[in-house]
Amino acid sequence: MNSLEQVMRKPLPVPDADTQAYWEGLRQGKLLLQHCLACGHVQFYQQAICRHCGSERLEHRAASGRGRVHSFSVVHRAPSPAFKGDTPYAVLLVELEEGPRMISSLIDGDPMKVTFDMPVVLVCEPVSEAISLPRFRPAEREQVK
Amino acid sequence: MREDGQILRGKVAVIGAGISEVGKVPGKSPLALAAQAASRALDDAGIAKTAVDGVLASTSFASPFHRFSVAFSEYFGIQPTFSNTLQVSGATAATLFHVGAAAIQAGLAQTVLLVGADSLLTGLTPDLALRSMSESRDQQYEMPFGIPVANTFAMTANRHMHEYGTTAEQLAQVAVTFREHARRTPGAQMRDPITVEDVLASPWVTTPYRKLDCSLISDGGAAFVLTSAERARALGIEQPIYLLGAGECYTHEHIFLMPSLTTTGATRSSALAYAMAGYGPRDMDVAGIYDCFTGTVVMMVEDLGFCAKGEGGPFVAEGNLTYGGAIPSNTHGGLLSFAHPGMPGALFHFHEVVSQLRGRCGERQVPGAKLGLVHTLGAGFATNATTVLGTEETL
Repeated sequence: MNSLEQVMRKPLPVPDADTQAYWEGLRQGKLLLQHCLACGHVQFYQQAICRHCGSERLEHRAASGRGRVHSFSVVHRAPSPAFKGDTPYAVLLVELEEGPRMISSLIDGDPMKVTFDMPVVLVCEPVSEAISLPRFRPAEREQVK
Repeated sequence: MREDGQILRGKVAVIGAGISEVGKVPGKSPLALAAQAASRALDDAGIAKTAVDGVLASTSFASPFHRFSVAFSEYFGIQPTFSNTLQVSGATAATLFHVGAAAIQAGLAQTVLLVGADSLLTGLTPDLALRSMSESRDQQYEMPFGIPVANTFAMTANRHMHEYGTTAEQLAQVAVTFREHARRTPGAQMRDPITVEDVLASPWVTTPYRKLDCSLISDGGAAFVLTSAERARALGIEQPIYLLGAGECYTHEHIFLMPSLTTTGATRSSALAYAMAGYGPRDMDVAGIYDCFTGTVVMMVEDLGFCAKGEGGPFVAEGNLTYGGAIPSNTHGGLLSFAHPGMPGALFHFHEVVSQLRGRCGERQVPGAKLGLVHTLGAGFATNATTVLGTEETL
């Protein structure tokens, strides 16, 4: 089960019935959030019901792609060999402008210069034909470069 | 909303406790470690394995049986009539006690064996051990970003430092205190003394955590025998330790849906456990606090009510976790210095608190300990479970 080849490969998300639209959106460069047409709740991640009111009347809308770093941790010891070459890298807990939070990682910036509440912007990074990962870069490039 | 727990409070007792060889134990499978711990727990209780009619177990990475409790029973040569394998990450330890006690009180079983064991140190390579941890994160929303489970805890600690001014030195003091405790514990995996400077000089793992802020990777297992308080008396058990309070809380699955990074479900789980027990945090003589990372303990002393929110840093730095302090905790050394074989890690906290309440801790003994709390948690604070235990006179 844990063959060397598997260990060296980065885990690639496998979309499920709830999340097809989400990953298709990212492939097109859009981060889709679900807006509940019954109660107005905005949610991440993609699911069949509104977590607030239970309604199934959910609409996908593209997020602005702007957010702030709510918290972060710079990984020096990779969780698996596949990530060893990337260290140190900053895992971000981004609070999106629309409210929801999500996990991502910093791209195109110095991981050691990440700060709380730092403004960040979405970058959809293609990692396979079907999958683009939602990553974030510093909003003000010169600030971190 | 549940009633206040008079159905369960004091009705079930721990009558036996045992731990296997712990630390680096090559050549023993998780099932072998589980069997060794179980034999010791049954010997401690003075009962035969044929008296066991219930088995509850945690899962094992190195022996990935879906039904570990069933595999264990076969291996151990028993055929229980109540069995299950529980999985709520690090909080599983306390839930074994809660479910076991509830099963006894409800009449599903008379004598329940709780067991957990794993071989994360010698049964898996270090990278695979860590990988097995990272694979507990969501494959679509977390894993693609290279997020080890340590990282979820690190982000909570980082935020705590940001919001409350908690310092790296305060975090380090937790590791230093528990190492000092482990020095008096036979069989503890790490017994060399360390200083705050040593912690701050150890290599980064995931900020703000350095190597010595992180718990160990170990082999080992533990087991307990539970039965009704009534039957414990009939058996003439010398020092039954009673389950007085139990509380759990599950606030989220994904770290990005944790309602607050700095206030956890431990506030609710401990409030429920205290309410059932009829005792509060100040009544506790000794505690076992899940210490997967140093900062975890800082946040837990706040959420368990030992100090106010935001004061965890100064609280741990002022010696409140050791002898003579507000709440001597992890007197065996905890996950940071005794051992951390994964799921069974917090069972050692139970073993230590039970031993303290029985007055069997020798030079580690907290004088006159009668009430103890164990708090276990997991998955970036997704799961929290609190147990209050007490001696006969606390009933």
